[in-house]
Amino acid sequence: MIRFNLAGVSIPSEDPSMPERTVLSPCTVELSEPRIAVIGANGSGKSTLLRLINGLVSPSTGSVEVHGFNTVQQAKAVRQRVGFLFTDPLSQLVMPIVIEDVELSLKASHKNRAQRTEAAQRALATLGLKHLAQRSIYDLSGGERQLVALCSVLAAGQNILVADEPTTLLDLANNQLLQSTFDALTQQVIYATHDLDFAASADRALLVSDGQIIFDGPAPEAVATYRQLVRDGRVTP
Amino acid sequence: MSANHQMLLGHYLPGTSLIHRAPLLAKYLVVLIIGAAVLIFRIPAVGIGTLLFGVGLFALAGPRVLRAWVAPLRQLWWIFAILGIYQAILNSPLFALSLISGMLAVIQCGRLILLTTTQSALLDGLEAAAAPVRFIGGNPATIALAVALMLRSIPAIATSVQDLTDAAKARDIKRNPAILAAPVVINTVAYAQRTADALAARGIMERN
Repeated sequence: MIRFNLAGVSIPSEDPSMPERTVLSPCTVELSEPRIAVIGANGSGKSTLLRLINGLVSPSTGSVEVHGFNTVQQAKAVRQRVGFLFTDPLSQLVMPIVIEDVELSLKASHKNRAQRTEAAQRALATLGLKHLAQRSIYDLSGGERQLVALCSVLAAGQNILVADEPTTLLDLANNQLLQSTFDALTQQVIYATHDLDFAASADRALLVSDGQIIFDGPAPEAVATYRQLVRDGRVTP
Repeated sequence: MSANHQMLLGHYLPGTSLIHRAPLLAKYLVVLIIGAAVLIFRIPAVGIGTLLFGVGLFALAGPRVLRAWVAPLRQLWWIFAILGIYQAILNSPLFALSLISGMLAVIQCGRLILLTTTQSALLDGLEAAAAPVRFIGGNPATIALAVALMLRSIPAIATSVQDLTDAAKARDIKRNPAILAAPVVINTVAYAQRTADALAARGIMERN
């Protein structure tokens, strides 16, 4: 269970005489459904909302809790439970060889190198990526990279996955491959996306506009509301 | 990231050769011995001998690794040429020959370690070597990770420079290092921030 308690984010204005800029207005929501989509225009506050969940961004007001752990005071405990998938997998892959990157996620839990390698191979096999184990991350396609990044995140054993526009850089085939991989996951998945079909398949969706959650409910309704707002020119980026 | 940038530094090429399977310590010892030999015996025979020995080790590591031997020469030949001509004029052609061949031998043997050792093994080795820092409150794992990130960032920054140069060319802006400097610095800082975010998100290292 993820709980936002009046959590909001503001940043100081460049001009000290001006008020702070609100990136995300204080919001109170509980996220417990297996698949939750976050939609909205660029710069609307989607990424900030997601980053609050694993403490990459700290709330200026209120608090965020994951399974009862505060994301600021108990960040380590939160990150043991929440994995984060970035838009660009190259930002996230640290090691040059696929299996080495998965092993890096397992370093804390597997001190023995042989056991670590074995566990990494198992993790890759789970997502059908065993054949990529010895490949350079720079030689992979965008979809393969994103799946490897996902594998590295999941290898650490977190039970919540937060994904910030994971399909944005992917072509249609890789987009579908990633979505079907998401479908098969047992973890709770919260993802921001501009792919409205992908968003509509979620159990619930949040529509974010101008730093506020303006709709929270069934995904198809959220998508329809978003389309209507765009048609009416009422979405502010 | 271009293949050139990867190969310039020495990007791991998987294999099962004797060199690939050799212990990391043995590989370091070979580099140390070659380095000491070319420093102590500054004669062409030692320089060229160690260079040929190095080529032999590359060959032993397999055809893919052997093909990678020439990579730094393609981009850095002019540095060796300038250095060689300078030393030939300042000292003697024989001294230039022993210096250049010795330098190249040591650089190539260092690259051979990177080409035939996984980064995980390098990290583990470094972590073991840095273990004494625990006595002064340091963390060997952090040191090893910092080195891994440094190795990763060199080709990333080189690619950033290349991308910006291409973008400038596309806009018909003349090649000017002063114009490129600011965006390269900004890109590098952004890259560092993304890396820090990724490490923090994966729980590998906390961000300050």
